[in-house]
Amino acid sequence: MPETSAWEKASPGAGGPALATPAAAQDAPSHTEDWPPRGSYASPSPPDSLAIDFVGRRRAVFWLALKTGCLTVLTLGLYRFWMKTRLRRWYWSATRPGGTPLEYVGDPYEKLLGFLIAVVILAFYIGVVNLALMFVSFSLFQQNYAAYALSFLGVIPLWFYARYRARRYVLARTRWRGVRFGMAPGAWGYVWRAMMHWTITLLSLGLLWPRMTFWLEKYRTDRTYFGNARLTQGGRWTMLYRATWPLLAALLLGGLGSALALGAGRGEGYTLILAAWGLAAYGYVYYRVETTRLLANHKSAMGLALTARPRPFRILMITVLGTLATALVLALPLGLLGFGVALVQFAQTEVMQEFGELGALLAALPRPLLVALGVALYFAIFLLWATFTHAWVTMPTWRHYATTLTIHNSAALSRVSQRARDEFQEAEGFAEALDLGASI
Amino acid sequence: MTVVRIGAAPEAYEATGLYFDGDTAIGDLARVTVDEAVRALKIARIGAPPLHWPLDALRLLPDQGGGDLVILHRRDDPVARLILDDALLLERLPDVRRPAPLVNRGRLAAWALAAVASVALIVFVLVPALANQMANFIPPEGERALGAATLEQIRGALDETGMGQPVAFCETPQGRAALETIRSRLAPGLPAGQEISVHVLDHEMINAFVLPGGYVVFFRGLLQAAESPEEVAAVFAHELGHVVSRDPTRHALRSAGSIGVLGLLFGDFAGGALVLLLAEQLIEASYSREAEAAADAFARDLLLDTGIPPAALGSFFDRLRSTYGEAEGFLAHFTSHPALSERILAAETDLPPGFAARPVLGDAEWRALQTICN
Repeated sequence: MPETSAWEKASPGAGGPALATPAAAQDAPSHTEDWPPRGSYASPSPPDSLAIDFVGRRRAVFWLALKTGCLTVLTLGLYRFWMKTRLRRWYWSATRPGGTPLEYVGDPYEKLLGFLIAVVILAFYIGVVNLALMFVSFSLFQQNYAAYALSFLGVIPLWFYARYRARRYVLARTRWRGVRFGMAPGAWGYVWRAMMHWTITLLSLGLLWPRMTFWLEKYRTDRTYFGNARLTQGGRWTMLYRATWPLLAALLLGGLGSALALGAGRGEGYTLILAAWGLAAYGYVYYRVETTRLLANHKSAMGLALTARPRPFRILMITVLGTLATALVLALPLGLLGFGVALVQFAQTEVMQEFGELGALLAALPRPLLVALGVALYFAIFLLWATFTHAWVTMPTWRHYATTLTIHNSAALSRVSQRARDEFQEAEGFAEALDLGASI
Repeated sequence: MTVVRIGAAPEAYEATGLYFDGDTAIGDLARVTVDEAVRALKIARIGAPPLHWPLDALRLLPDQGGGDLVILHRRDDPVARLILDDALLLERLPDVRRPAPLVNRGRLAAWALAAVASVALIVFVLVPALANQMANFIPPEGERALGAATLEQIRGALDETGMGQPVAFCETPQGRAALETIRSRLAPGLPAGQEISVHVLDHEMINAFVLPGGYVVFFRGLLQAAESPEEVAAVFAHELGHVVSRDPTRHALRSAGSIGVLGLLFGDFAGGALVLLLAEQLIEASYSREAEAAADAFARDLLLDTGIPPAALGSFFDRLRSTYGEAEGFLAHFTSHPALSERILAAETDLPPGFAARPVLGDAEWRALQTICN
């Protein structure tokens, strides 16, 4: 006799659909304990909180990244829009709030188009505006630093613009339980706020950094939707100061070390300065993770709330150890390969004729082949680096953030309904063209 | 009840699924069966009429992590989803892995084509036109600064040690003096106020090039491949022809405009390699056929005026051709120089009556020039 499925529990009178008997639907064992996950379908006593599972494996993302990365190299970079889409589908579907996966519905073709649109605008900027700036700079100042500086200043607003647009695109193409996320338009509003906050932060020597972190996140969050549910960023900017203590401690330690080393000429001072740098690195990660946690805990939407418990030290270790492991794994084979290429390059010189037949053989290799080998090596480094960091840094980081997040008051989900599709043909073209794509 | 199987009739399929209608965030428990008679998937839910999804309209979401769930949707429905926790159904759905485009790709392709055309227009029409105009208006000091900056970039790009060490200038005093002799010999043929700086780079390439602001640069390889000072002077005169027509200024402004755009097109992977490649092309200075012909004509007149037989240009190019062939190795891809033979024809002209050749350098000076890098 087959085991009782959730459906049969829900409709004991075999045959056509009937009303569920709540007790049976929840308590009796089923052939897969957690399928369908509790809380994903209507039930009179839904669970209060939904944990977020992550079911992806390193091996799977490694092969997917390697496969799509190879195709990207072979197509001179064209496939990268497909690569990004496929990787996002993977990450999204492996992330399962309350057991039901997120879905990424972005289309590689729209990414390609968005990129091309951005390239037209940036081509005009780089080609024509930069040329004009260079002309003026050489004509008036006889050097090109003025042109570089002005050109760089001109890109800053575009950078913030691209960040907002990219986030809007990703949210517009993310769904959970069939319901779209979304973000209201507002990129230019974000640009001037971001520039203003950066100016204030720089003028205050970083003391008002938490203020910027809070208000920029509030701007983005308050424009974010899940279906018809609008997110709200609560809390106050001063609450983020508690995330700065390791940085302040590093500053104090550094000051003490400098005073000892320079003022009193004591050698221990340098040890303290070194320790201060280490603490500052931890402090930076701590700030990023803690502010994310504090801000998440003060987000809400239509009665839904979040609890985040990411651990800064864990994130630091994932980043440091993952990057180190990648570097170690790559160093050996690539070092050997590089040595081989260098040897063959050397063989092209006359010295190698002394080494008899092997030397002559190496010397006879055509130069284009050597150039091709060098180019292949260059691409191999990029490709393997990206692939290994997916498996050892990006995925574990993502998993840690996902599994330490909990959604509360899930009953409120019954009030959420669908929102219209955000066509948004420009996709994340600017972020792609300006290389802000980050890793995922 | 007895089930009689006839032929290869598939076994009955039944599973518990989770259905999301694409409107609410709460799913429905669904009993999923296959109705072979109408080739449809029957999705029965509590409190709602059953849905019938045609089997050949079902599509599977690709690239799913975990590998434990199967998520199906209708090809013509962008939002509704059916999630199953086993893959048994898939073998009955032959079309399930076919694409189900969300967006109108025909329109996307049209836009993409327009975008590519615009970039081409900017790189190949707008930037060159602007650069040509600017080359006429840039003041001499600005032009010299542009040349100096470009020279530094090229010296860095030619570095072969990989240590970021720019290629060295060759400047033994005797060699410099010999170079100066040639320069002052040719100087009267230049427009008033045109400054000329001449440099030799310690590199084996057989080439010479000009940069904005009157920078004439020889490679060691060219000085060593030349068999007489007249040949060096002839190449010098040819390069001066480019200086006078301001070709390098136009060229430098143009590449400043387009290098960045091309780097942009190829993302982080290929971008870096491409910029290196283009720096190489800058040295190869591919001027148009007309510009080369004009420089040759200028060189011929200048050489005749200063008592140097113009045939030196022809004999030098001729020897280069017999040694290296029409195109020099794979570098030929980057050189759009007109075929050497045409230039030789342009240089081998009859000497005018009363032309008296005067030697360019003495033997000692010539040796000093060839060993300027030692």
